Amino acid sequence: MMKVLVTVKEVAEVEEDFVLDGTRIDDRFLEYDLNEWDDYAIETAVQLAEAGDDVEVVSATIGPERCEETIRMALAKGVDRGIRVWDDTLASVDLLDVNAKTEIFNAIIAEEEPDLILTGVQAHDDSFGATGVSVADAAGYEWAAVVNALDLDADAGVAHVRRELEGGVEELTDVELPAVLTIQTGINEPRYASLRGIRMAQRKEIAQQTLDDLGLDEGAVESQITLTDMYEPESESDVELFEGDADAAAASLASVLREKGVGAQ
Amino acid sequence: MDFGLTDEQIALREEVSRFAANEIKPVAAEYDRNEAYPDAVMEKAAEMGLLAPHVPIEYGGIGYSTLETAILVEELFAADPGIGLCIASAGFGAEAIIAFGTEEQKETYLPPLVEGEAVMGAAISEPHAGSDVSSVSTRAEKDGDEWVINGNKMWITNGTVGDYFVVVCETDPDVDDRYTGFSQIIIENDRDGFSAEKITGKLGIRASDTAELVFDDVRVPEENLVGTRGMGFLQIMQFFDETRTAVAAQGVGIAKGAAERALEYAQEREQFGRSISEFQAIQHKLAEMYTQTEAARGLTYKSAWGVDVDAENVTMLASMAKEYASRVATDVADEAVQVHGGAGYVDDFDVGRFYRDAKITQIYEGTTEIQKNIIARELLGKGF
Repeated sequence: MMKVLVTVKEVAEVEEDFVLDGTRIDDRFLEYDLNEWDDYAIETAVQLAEAGDDVEVVSATIGPERCEETIRMALAKGVDRGIRVWDDTLASVDLLDVNAKTEIFNAIIAEEEPDLILTGVQAHDDSFGATGVSVADAAGYEWAAVVNALDLDADAGVAHVRRELEGGVEELTDVELPAVLTIQTGINEPRYASLRGIRMAQRKEIAQQTLDDLGLDEGAVESQITLTDMYEPESESDVELFEGDADAAAASLASVLREKGVGAQ
Repeated sequence: MDFGLTDEQIALREEVSRFAANEIKPVAAEYDRNEAYPDAVMEKAAEMGLLAPHVPIEYGGIGYSTLETAILVEELFAADPGIGLCIASAGFGAEAIIAFGTEEQKETYLPPLVEGEAVMGAAISEPHAGSDVSSVSTRAEKDGDEWVINGNKMWITNGTVGDYFVVVCETDPDVDDRYTGFSQIIIENDRDGFSAEKITGKLGIRASDTAELVFDDVRVPEENLVGTRGMGFLQIMQFFDETRTAVAAQGVGIAKGAAERALEYAQEREQFGRSISEFQAIQHKLAEMYTQTEAARGLTYKSAWGVDVDAENVTMLASMAKEYASRVATDVADEAVQVHGGAGYVDDFDVGRFYRDAKITQIYEGTTEIQKNIIARELLGKGF
């Protein structure tokens, strides 16, 4: 029996035109959806479950009731059950920082004792990009970040992972389980939830837990970070029109690209 | 009274809409121009389980109700009616096998539809038998333990891509009654004497395959008979309410797709120094388009609900939904082109295609005029 925990987040997506309300974006201009990286993490976990004999996939999220729709879509794709952490204390927190998330997920890990934890590399709304690695540190798990290929040898307790580094360098690493892997987009092609999966997901469990249930108090989610301002940067754009026939235009384009540093050495 | 959808129905709509946005919309114009059947999209649709979801669970499907099918069809048609029809029609005719087929027929013909390994079709219309279905002249004669079939079928959806068809044939020409004497027989496309010719040049739904089928001494085993000999029409009629509701859902989808595109364009397009959505003439168009679409959706959902829970009393409602939603589809697509102006008249935008696609919903599965006849007949107490 192997247990895989996937942390997922419902993120806010901002419409093209929006209005700021202090340090927040007005709710009217936000739509909520599953964090893109998490979709790849879910697919990774579900593929492990399909390939293995006895693999349980559990998803964990922090968020209000609204998130259940998103979590249920993960269940429809093959996750076995979900855990959603929320209560009045969490609802009153302005900014849930990495430490707070780490405390919460760490409590869940203590309870669930997963062999493998998959997170997205980052969440595209607040983009801390740190939760996965921070959770590994707190839980005492091995970790690998920005994983774009995974070959799991569950019997040997090793995850062979590939990480794409800057400049086209790829690193192959063996990580001993239990481990946290932060999953990069492109590692696979996330599936659509099948109509049958959507039906089955209605009967799967999403357990709601409070901080109290997890043995935490409000001190655990007090933030050391304060959001001080939010503004739209002035944007500059630069347009250059290429004229002449295709050869001349292509040559001009090539020289501009070279100037900007695009192309082989 | 509860007008809300269940969580499952909401999730179904959202995920199908996501599939349609990624897999259908980007390729729709190309398949329309080429009149090509979208094999690659069909493969992905099969993976997601979109094909023949009305097939019962024990044969690999989901056993979708009419309402759930309507929600699915609406989302597909809102993305593209041509490819939407390809997906929605993969199990055309399966309802006869589900309701009247033998266990062996169900096990043979239903699972491959869901898995995307086979496509089927229903063959009723003939060159000389359109609205007048009782004038079907394709003959099936019994010869030993086989049926020998001769005749032509016209406008058959999936005609050249289908693997098997439920074909309405006259089996007992001597009976006096107009409606008995016909039977439904399964004909596979690899039988000797079977041929299909693709019909090209359609105004709309051009990704969908339409063909003429020719049966020239086609022999099939007697066990290919679906249900009871001589009762073919009565068997088909049981599904008119369901299939008309499905076409109503197509109309709602077309109207929704056209209205959404008009709303988007109206906010982007600027004239006289401002967005054309600031002009009241455009605002009123959009208001009417969305109102009509919502009204058609309400009627369609009610009809679907009726088919699912009050099947005895839904005939008039199904015809109302089919007639109204198909009219709304053509009207809203027309206005969507108008909002686009000249841009809507070329195929850079989707609305021209929706305008062409919409018309078929007033023609197939019983024309607008036939639907009005049915509504009037029910009103005047002259039920079938």
